[in-house]
Amino acid sequence: MKKLLSAPVLFAAAGILLVVGVVLAFWYSPIDASSMGFSQKIFYYHVPIAAAALVAYGVAFVAAILYLRSQDLKWDRLGYVSVRIGLLFSILVMATGMIWGKASWGVWWAWEPRLTTYLLACFLYAAYWVLRSVVDEEQRRATYAAVFAIIAFIDVPITYFATRLMPSGLHPVLSGLAGSMAVSFGICMLGMLTLMTALIKRDYEIELIKDRVTDLKTSLGG
Amino acid sequence: MTVAEGAKYVAAAYAIIMAVIIVYYFMSSRRVAVLQRDIQLLESEVKRQTPAPGAE
Repeated sequence: MKKLLSAPVLFAAAGILLVVGVVLAFWYSPIDASSMGFSQKIFYYHVPIAAAALVAYGVAFVAAILYLRSQDLKWDRLGYVSVRIGLLFSILVMATGMIWGKASWGVWWAWEPRLTTYLLACFLYAAYWVLRSVVDEEQRRATYAAVFAIIAFIDVPITYFATRLMPSGLHPVLSGLAGSMAVSFGICMLGMLTLMTALIKRDYEIELIKDRVTDLKTSLGG
Repeated sequence: MTVAEGAKYVAAAYAIIMAVIIVYYFMSSRRVAVLQRDIQLLESEVKRQTPAPGAE
């Protein structure tokens, strides 16, 4: 079971799911009948990446709580890598969203609720990154980062519900996908969540190896 | 929007996603390889510096 959930296996599974998903999105799912037309195909990766970023921030939130309860640095490492992967995915969401916005709205950016709250999440988690770099002492850095991760997470549900609570008429709301579209979308979503898990797992392993390197250097006296 | 007009935006979006993910994947793979090599070197150094039991 442990081998089945190893990073290489997860990467392979994510690769297969994402390729199958995109093939289905282009050759099985119909072209959207709305004004978005062919550019709607961006949706099959854009939305799963956005969801995966929010899930990664959720993992950081849970890791922060677990760290504050246990003071175990492994939770700090997990929170740190989750924010890093969340930010990576957020950058992709912003980039693909801007391209999609240009194609369907005619502008690269619009100050509407979903985009604005998502941008705010990016800034908050970038600030988490900065915060970590300015505190030297390990336990203190982990505590500050955990508290900040919990506060920053407040923006995540706001981002998720932004289009429902404050409809602007610009950003589409995901609802009632047709059969073939739902299948393609579901496979892409599963693939992207698997990729996010694989990336977090790989980066977490890197952090553990870095800790081991530090320990060995200390035992060698420098 | 026609398929031809939309295609360039769609291609750009997917190209960015693929490029960023592939570059990140190879960067992290390389990092793992470098760190594991460092671990091996450091572990052999620790072993070298630790006297064997009974050795005097």
